[in-house]
Amino acid sequence: MRNYPSDVPVSSVVPLTTGAAGDARITRLFEAMRPELLRFALWLSRDRALAEDVVQEALLRAWRSREALKDPACSRAWLLTIVRREHARLYERKRLELVCLNDALEHEGGALLSRDDSEINALRSAILQLPIEYREPLIMQVLGGFSVDEIARELNLSASAVLTRLFRARNKLRALYGLTPAPDSSGTEAPL
Amino acid sequence: MICHDARRFIGAEPCATSRELALHLQECHACGEYQLEMVALDANIRRALEEPPVAAAARRRLGARPKWALAASLLLAVMATLAVWALRTDASLAHEVVAHVVAEPQSWAGTDPVSEAALAGVLRRSGVILDAAAPYSVVYARSCWFRGHYVPHLVVRTTHTLATVLILRDETVEVRQAFHEDGLSGVIVPSAHGSIAVLAATGAHLDDIAAQMQLAMRSPTALR
Repeated sequence: MRNYPSDVPVSSVVPLTTGAAGDARITRLFEAMRPELLRFALWLSRDRALAEDVVQEALLRAWRSREALKDPACSRAWLLTIVRREHARLYERKRLELVCLNDALEHEGGALLSRDDSEINALRSAILQLPIEYREPLIMQVLGGFSVDEIARELNLSASAVLTRLFRARNKLRALYGLTPAPDSSGTEAPL
Repeated sequence: MICHDARRFIGAEPCATSRELALHLQECHACGEYQLEMVALDANIRRALEEPPVAAAARRRLGARPKWALAASLLLAVMATLAVWALRTDASLAHEVVAHVVAEPQSWAGTDPVSEAALAGVLRRSGVILDAAAPYSVVYARSCWFRGHYVPHLVVRTTHTLATVLILRDETVEVRQAFHEDGLSGVIVPSAHGSIAVLAATGAHLDDIAAQMQLAMRSPTALR
């Protein structure tokens, strides 16, 4: 029988540890990881307020399950996975108001973008406009450092489907540079 | 492997490789160029994602940058990559080792031991065998393109820390080199099979790790 909540990544669960010193250590860990978690959530949600809610909720869940985390080396993937699940859960439990991203980006100007060079900003804009099914695995791979197999497990997809999504994501970004996209005859994604 | 499969594989994981892909790239110049473009693109994607999409004061219209300018900048990136490649003999091996490790930060996130089959696969691609009695748990193993060759890029867990090990069969150093760069400490030591680079973020016993890895390496002549 599992002794940890269902929203805690099973693959990261390690033997329990408790105590005030452990709590203080985990608090410091959470604080140190928070900017990275927020960045991850921002790329997923494309909304700062939403991302902050997601991270806050994720850290609460992580705190409640802190006994499951013994090895700090596990913490990054563990927390990123909880953030991703919290973001997915948000969409499950309430239907968010949808906006046209093109319009929003145009009206908000650089509100979602940073101030440095325009080429990278154009790429950020393109990434933000990728559909979530392509953006999510790309962010998990490049930003989160997850392997294809880990992404497949997390998204409940086959590894082949993840490869296809990653390929298509980069193919769309490739087009941004005026490069010829590789032919995509992958068809539908392989089922799990 | 055919070009379509190779490009799908590269598009999904630009820096990953497999024996089949390596063989295909040896024969297919176009796919090699495609990989180079995708690696350059991926570096920009990483750069784009490394900063959160934060609020900016300045308003601007998005997508105003002409495509030709983006294509030109990517071309410049590819040319720069090629220039670095062409001049690699002048560059510091240690510097390139550090740059490679820094560019693969996910290597430090591994916690579970890599399966024996996966590790053997990575080593086999580079013609290396590690003794099963190797003293460290390998938590990351990937065959990486480095200075014109695929080299095993491993992260091992010692008693005290994680350490990166690059087995550089095609790089010869006369004497031990120690370096500190980008917060990493490292050594490159001569080996019977080229050289071995060991890096760690903390003051680990790098020479001990290098020595242990050397002992664990077996003669690869049968594989060459």
